[in-house]
Amino acid sequence: MIEIKNLTKIYKLNKKQMKESKTTDTLKTAVDNLSLTARPGEIYGLLGPNGAGKTTTLRCISTIIKPTRGEIFVSGHEVKREPEKVREKIGFLTGDIKLDPQFSVDYMFNFFGRLHHIQEDKLAARKEELFTYFGIKDFSHKKIKELSTGMAQKAAIAVCLVHDPEIIIFDEPTNGLDVITARSVTDYLKKLKAEGKLVIISTHVMSEAEKICDRIGVIIDGQKVAEGTLGQILHDTNAEDLEDAFFELYRHQKGGK
Amino acid sequence: MLSLNFTDTKKEESKMSGIKLICGKELDRVFRDRKMIFSVFFLPVIIMVGIMSLVGNLSNNAQKDVEAHTSIVYIQNSPVGFPQFLKAADRDCKIYEMSDWEKATEMIKNGDADLLIKFPENFVDMVSGYKQGDVIPQIKTYYNPSEDYSRAAYDTISTGVLEAYRQSLLSQRVDNMEGLTVFTVNSDNPDMVIQDEEKAGGKILGMMLPYFVTILLFAGAMGIGTDMVAGEKERGTMASLLVSPIKRSSIVLGKVIALMIISGVSSVIYVGALVAFMPQMIGGADLGMNLTLNPKQIAMLAVLLVAIAFLYSAIIVLVSVFARTTKEASSYVMPVYMLILVLGMTTMFTTKTPGEWVYAVPIYNTSLALQGILTQEVTTMQYGVTLGMTLVFGAVLIGVIGKAFESEKVMSI
Repeated sequence: MIEIKNLTKIYKLNKKQMKESKTTDTLKTAVDNLSLTARPGEIYGLLGPNGAGKTTTLRCISTIIKPTRGEIFVSGHEVKREPEKVREKIGFLTGDIKLDPQFSVDYMFNFFGRLHHIQEDKLAARKEELFTYFGIKDFSHKKIKELSTGMAQKAAIAVCLVHDPEIIIFDEPTNGLDVITARSVTDYLKKLKAEGKLVIISTHVMSEAEKICDRIGVIIDGQKVAEGTLGQILHDTNAEDLEDAFFELYRHQKGGK
Repeated sequence: MLSLNFTDTKKEESKMSGIKLICGKELDRVFRDRKMIFSVFFLPVIIMVGIMSLVGNLSNNAQKDVEAHTSIVYIQNSPVGFPQFLKAADRDCKIYEMSDWEKATEMIKNGDADLLIKFPENFVDMVSGYKQGDVIPQIKTYYNPSEDYSRAAYDTISTGVLEAYRQSLLSQRVDNMEGLTVFTVNSDNPDMVIQDEEKAGGKILGMMLPYFVTILLFAGAMGIGTDMVAGEKERGTMASLLVSPIKRSSIVLGKVIALMIISGVSSVIYVGALVAFMPQMIGGADLGMNLTLNPKQIAMLAVLLVAIAFLYSAIIVLVSVFARTTKEASSYVMPVYMLILVLGMTTMFTTKTPGEWVYAVPIYNTSLALQGILTQEVTTMQYGVTLGMTLVFGAVLIGVIGKAFESEKVMSI
């Protein structure tokens, strides 16, 4: 289970970032007093426009960055106090995280498996299972740099799941993937959910959220503006689909503009 | 209490295995790639030995060429018998009578003539008719120090042949030359050079080794070190390590130890090549010195080189941590490299015995100690302080790198 209590993340901006953001403020609040709970056996989707704070939230959960304020509990372990314990429980993947291009898929899978202290026989079995599912076997001996984007993404997903984590955190899971690969990824997320795992994803693709998420949290400007099942959100916003609901929430958040 | 100890042991084991895995991966990056092995370990040695051998041979050939050169000497007011005297001393020189002073000096400037000898007009009369109180005749010689042939002619003729000519004329004036000789210096002393061949060899090695070790050890680790940290950040592969259940200090140590092993192996190859190819690198000249090392020197060198490799690795990793790309890291590392290079070079020309406190100055002390080991002049105390300070300084840097790894801003994640 993931429990976020009043998470706030504030970044200090350097001059270049201030210029790019066209602001004179030296601080930027990426996530503002966000609270949410995600439970095992569900796919929780963080939906929001670019820069809403989705990725920052996921990075705080996965201990890459530290919250400025608030607490995050991952399977009972607080991210700031027990980051290594948290990392044992999660599998985190984002488009920014890549595998070392100089090594083969096989090498990287074994390397991360050993980092997770998986016994060699179990590691081999896990490899067989994941490589078969994602169709990696044929190119597992190839160096990552020799693979196409889709193949490399499949390899990265397999490596991030090497330790069979309780919680899977995917930042934009299908971003940049072809339709077939994207489908196999979303199907696998559903499979993980069926196994009782907690899957938390971030996305700005409405159709993806509609299809696979059990519950959705809509984030705009670092704040959670709505949360619930697809039906609840549509009901609360009086919208026909998620896109309409999102625009309604967005208008409301921006003061009716 | 027992369970706490067990947990601590498990944590320590886990940390060690994390360091081992990270270190192993970084070593695999180099040792599993034939191109990397060649470019990291052998190419610098080939280039170093090649360049130094070329420079040594060229300088040797230049020296031989100067020695074989036929000196062109212009003489003004040449006394009777002097050209024959000169020919007897330097058979190959070509002697011309100087008629036009301006033209002759121009030839010296242009390198077409090597030496001008100007005798006073009535030199023979002045010498033969000399009485006490008369002006002593002066022979003037002119040469061009920027021309090797001219400088060599000046050394041979102006200071050698003319001195012999002076003695010859003096013997005509004084019956008993021996009465004028109060003493001679080394006129019959073939054993005048007394030196410990090992120490003399060490002196040459000690002059060059700190410089080369700095160049090769640092340069060898520089490319790999910047790629290990800044490269991983740039490629986005660092983040995948940071979300693994491994302490960031383990990542740091794993990388530094791997870099240390790589630069340590390369330094052993470099130093071995330096010692093995030293005669070729100094142009095949026989210096009459022993360039081999005794087992104590080898052991002291090996331990110190490991410590230096550790320190340089830590410096490179530290600098790389603050860079976002390998390009940026290389530009940060370069000034540090230059600084370390200058410190390495300073020992090449040091004549004074450094104070004990200097051995506590990191980096500089390693150059001094390397030199001291080779000349067998370093004391146990100086060696110990150098080794200790190098390791302590390296450990402090590791601590700083560990802190930097914890920083979101520094890691750009």
